[in-house]
Amino acid sequence: MSAATWASGAVQIVGGLLLAPLLPGLVQHWKARLQGRRGPSPFQPYRELRRLWRKSAVDVEGTTAVYRLAPPVVAATLVSAVLLVPASRLAPNWGLGHDMLALAGMLALARFAVAAASWDVANGFALMGASRDLTISVFVEVGLVLAVTVPALIAGTTDMPAMVAATSGAQAWSNPGLALAAAAFAVVAIAEIGRQPVDNPDTHLELTMIHEGPLLEYAGRDLALLQWAGAARHWLVLVLAAQVFLPHPSNPWLELATLPLVLTALCAGLAATESAVAKVRILVAPRLIGVGAVVALLGIVTWLIGNAP
Amino acid sequence: MIGALLLGGLAALALGGLLAAPRSTFRTGLTVQACGAAAVSVAGFLVLATGSTLGKGFTSEFAPRFGVDGLSGLFLGALGLVAAAALVFSRDYLEADGRGRTVAALTALLVLVLAGVFCARDPLTFLTGWELMTLVPAIVILVARNADRVARNTVFVYLAVTHLGGVGTWIAILLLARAGAIGDPTVISSGSGLQIAIALTALVGMGTKAGVMPFHVWLPRAHPIAPAPVSALMSGVMIKAGIYALVRVLVDWLGVLPVWFGVLVLALGALSAVGGVVYALFQHELKRLLAFHSVENIGIIVLGIGACLLLHTRGADMWASFALAAALLHTLNHAVFKALLFLGAGAFERTVGSLELDRLGGLLRRMPWTGGAFLVGAMAIAGLPPLNGFASEWLTLQALLHVPAFGGVGAGTAGAIALAALAATAALAVFCFVKVGGLVLLGPPRARADASAREAPWPMRSAVVFLALACAVLGLVPGLLFGVLAGLAPWSSDAPTTAGLHLPGTGSLPTIGIAIALVGLTGSFFFLRGGRRAAPAPSWACGQDLGRELNWTSAGFTKPLRLVLEPLLRPERETTVTVEGGVVQSVSYSGRVPHLIDERIYRPIARISLGGARQARRLQSGSIGTYAAYLIALVVVLLAVVRLGVLG
Repeated sequence: MSAATWASGAVQIVGGLLLAPLLPGLVQHWKARLQGRRGPSPFQPYRELRRLWRKSAVDVEGTTAVYRLAPPVVAATLVSAVLLVPASRLAPNWGLGHDMLALAGMLALARFAVAAASWDVANGFALMGASRDLTISVFVEVGLVLAVTVPALIAGTTDMPAMVAATSGAQAWSNPGLALAAAAFAVVAIAEIGRQPVDNPDTHLELTMIHEGPLLEYAGRDLALLQWAGAARHWLVLVLAAQVFLPHPSNPWLELATLPLVLTALCAGLAATESAVAKVRILVAPRLIGVGAVVALLGIVTWLIGNAP
Repeated sequence: MIGALLLGGLAALALGGLLAAPRSTFRTGLTVQACGAAAVSVAGFLVLATGSTLGKGFTSEFAPRFGVDGLSGLFLGALGLVAAAALVFSRDYLEADGRGRTVAALTALLVLVLAGVFCARDPLTFLTGWELMTLVPAIVILVARNADRVARNTVFVYLAVTHLGGVGTWIAILLLARAGAIGDPTVISSGSGLQIAIALTALVGMGTKAGVMPFHVWLPRAHPIAPAPVSALMSGVMIKAGIYALVRVLVDWLGVLPVWFGVLVLALGALSAVGGVVYALFQHELKRLLAFHSVENIGIIVLGIGACLLLHTRGADMWASFALAAALLHTLNHAVFKALLFLGAGAFERTVGSLELDRLGGLLRRMPWTGGAFLVGAMAIAGLPPLNGFASEWLTLQALLHVPAFGGVGAGTAGAIALAALAATAALAVFCFVKVGGLVLLGPPRARADASAREAPWPMRSAVVFLALACAVLGLVPGLLFGVLAGLAPWSSDAPTTAGLHLPGTGSLPTIGIAIALVGLTGSFFFLRGGRRAAPAPSWACGQDLGRELNWTSAGFTKPLRLVLEPLLRPERETTVTVEGGVVQSVSYSGRVPHLIDERIYRPIARISLGGARQARRLQSGSIGTYAAYLIALVVVLLAVVRLGVLG
């Protein structure tokens, strides 16, 4: 393994596991600034995690192992997912492969665990959130798979390091297919990390929340694990956006060097979107993501026409 | 050696079937049957693993011949596996009364007939087995339900649809036999009218038996009302006979099919997958829901076959064989987890007395073994890592993704749309099985019977736990089977035979690594989470007591999706508000999601045929004079025809 691979692996682990909470922190920080408030410091998520980690958890009466296992399962899938997504074109082999479609399966497992736990606590608010999350997930899954198909076709494989390599430089952008896929991915990314206009991460009003709903019945370390998982989801999605769906350099060292800058810029972009766009009605969100999926399909067709033998 | 094992197993099945008929040897008979099924399974998998063939090869002549090759071995293996579990389950599920004993004996017959279909090497045996395979479950349903009105009606629809569709199978097989093309792909030239005719009739005929939409209407009717072990056999194996025949005809015997045919197969697969799971979501009865999921999974398998045909047409033989292996692997996986779910449903029904989803609840605490195994099955069918459904769905996704990779704008776009359909199917299946798992296993008991539910006796328990273990093992080492299955393609291919799935053009799926990571990390986080907890507290319902009225229902959970899909599904609802003296006395609400294929396609057809029958009845006046006139008219017409020399 070369030095660049080591460095890339280190960025993947340190970034995905430790720095991930900084990403939602930055978004909240800048969002407050854009709205004329001082707002919390970007390190606020860490303070919350520390506070939660010290508190004791409260089990809900009459629940089974499904409720108690959900936070560990979610955290475990997110750690595995962090190991799947490379920080640059070079990635050490962690023994899990680097397959794009396997990532979709991991995220589905996390979703299943949380939704099953909602049934276990039998709480209307949790179930409301879970049922909305699963409804939207149908469209997110379609959009995600179609959006990643274009870079997979460019790379000729669903291996993520190869996809990062194939989309680097200017050549990959000569066909508009990738740009269309990137537009689709933007919509999917927002839905996947639960941000406006699909979901509002600030709301705790029971009738409007999606991703927060199933977390209501958790406290202490359980909640800490789930909140960390939410932050790790930001890392996964934003790294994919930066290294596949945005132009990036082809030198791995340069890639690693520009990654923090691009991630910061993406967080700023999310903050700006959250300030500018209101959350859409829950039944409109699938339509929005559906439009994204159609754009991705157009991207695939465009690529096919451009590369017709 | 393997042959002896197979014959011994079949003989044990026959013997067990006979023993199950008298009351005194009922249990023994079922045990003997289960041992025979296990032997058949082992023999089938051994044939597949060793790449050997038993008995004779295929012939187009009408003389009974039997033999086993790799593909037959796979299906025999799946059959034996499912049958063994179902028969052990039957020991306590079936009562030893007259009806139960008849069902037990008929189960043996069904297994033998299915084995006959998989081993048939000539058109005569195959078609005989094919018909018996349809008739035996019909008899089982009638016997088990005491031929009540629902059962008679269902069996009529089942036989009518499968026989009308089954004509396609007869035409396809007879055309193949006439051309001498059974077992020989070189006889029929590619692109010829004969090839297209056989392919289309086979798709309709065998697709009907497999339950491919829109020929599936019999399936959600017939599967739920059969006894649970027979439902498991029907959903797990019988409909797979359609897949077996499709693979034989389309992949093995017809050579290279045109691109449009591959696209047609993909379209039918996508329709079945998405349609099956969407309608499953809105079902309120567990077994009916599971039956719709069979349609979905058949769709996923057909998507794999479609990808195989398209890739083979484009000359990408390696990925074509991978696509075929994906379809076959999903066939086996679906057999295992669907049998598990049907048997689990049977166990719940036995103790609770109902399978209405809204009346079940909290069974995981009352039945930890059966419930736990059922949860594993639900996760497997939802395609979640690290279980077997994930491996084969991942492979099918990869196969579909490689359709556009091998060029062609039309075929590529079709592949991409099929890919989107499969992605939607996977997400919808997660949605559906969260709902099923939640309603059946979790939360508070929703009816009085749930609170007093008892764990099933050990034979029933061990059958479902065994199948759950099979789900885990097949999820851990899918690659061992995958390499062999890819080798079943009639063109040469070399797939790596490793535990995980390391294929060129993918990021590889090291299933063992993923399983270790997921289980290990979950365990560590569970440990880290620690034992520090405050006293348990009730769930938060804004300070209210979380009473029965606040329980969530199946319809409530799926409502957002129903609203989103309203333009497609056209749900019906009716709200009646009774007002008396300006005060609302009661509000009643009812809603349902009608099955559009039933109501928009089959109902009009049935209406028109009944109308036609009414018209035809006028000819049957009942008076002998009229009939004599018909006869004389016929003779005159025939004489005239002969006279004119039309007949030559």
